Amino acid sequence: MAGTNQLSAVFSALADPTRRAILDELAERDATVTQLSAPLPMSMPAVSRHLKVLEHAALISRTRSGKWRASHLETAPLRDAADWIDRFRRFWDPSLDGLDAHLAALQAAEPTDTKEP
Amino acid sequence: MHTETPQLAVSRVFDAPRALVFRAFTDPDHLATWWGPSGNSLPRDEIDFDVRPGGFQRWTEVAAAEPDLRVHVYIDLTDVADGALLEGVMHVCGRLQEGFEPFETRFRIEFHDEPDGRTRLEIRQWLPAHLAGPSSQGWLDAFEKLDATLLHLHAATVDVEV
Repeated sequence: MAGTNQLSAVFSALADPTRRAILDELAERDATVTQLSAPLPMSMPAVSRHLKVLEHAALISRTRSGKWRASHLETAPLRDAADWIDRFRRFWDPSLDGLDAHLAALQAAEPTDTKEP
Repeated sequence: MHTETPQLAVSRVFDAPRALVFRAFTDPDHLATWWGPSGNSLPRDEIDFDVRPGGFQRWTEVAAAEPDLRVHVYIDLTDVADGALLEGVMHVCGRLQEGFEPFETRFRIEFHDEPDGRTRLEIRQWLPAHLAGPSSQGWLDAFEKLDATLLHLHAATVDVEV
């Protein structure tokens, strides 16, 4: 399980629409900052700053090959974050199953028990 | 009270009248019977409820398999409407299961009438703000869009491992 610092870095990185667009691109293929900047309405330095945030959150890794640095999507932190949310979601189902059984048992015992003082 | 989109929304219909479902949440003897993952127990003498706006609900959860794991749940109730609404902030601390650190989470539980004497629960939950941040809709969208990619990559990894 990822630490809370990493989780908050991931969530905060994902909160920005440009960074999400970049991740969408990288989900298709690795790309350089030039390639990533082309469809975006902003300068390469601005895109570079977004890449730094994504790298800090470990959502991307960057490799140098010759004079180009390509960014690569790292999916593990996304899965950690999704798992973390799922833990909260998964709490409710078994608990509400328990409530369902409890309510059924109560009403089987006392079918008219709706207005007990 | 919360305009921000909740990160969790659970809706479920119960075959029981609204007053009874509400009591299942607000009466200590009821809650002790059904709350939490199966195997957990709520010591009756550690349940303390004062259900009203500005009131509280407090209890301890003990894991059957690991009695040393004791989770303390403290709810500050911000809004209560008898038979209709429970809203508040749940503080969870103590020794939690692996993967959880003490946290607090906002919730809102609405109780609605359904035909034939049934009740629909609408549960909304806002995950710990210090982690999830305020812009939840953004990353919810991100997960949705990236889900296919992740599943695909995951499947590929499994293929390699197998």
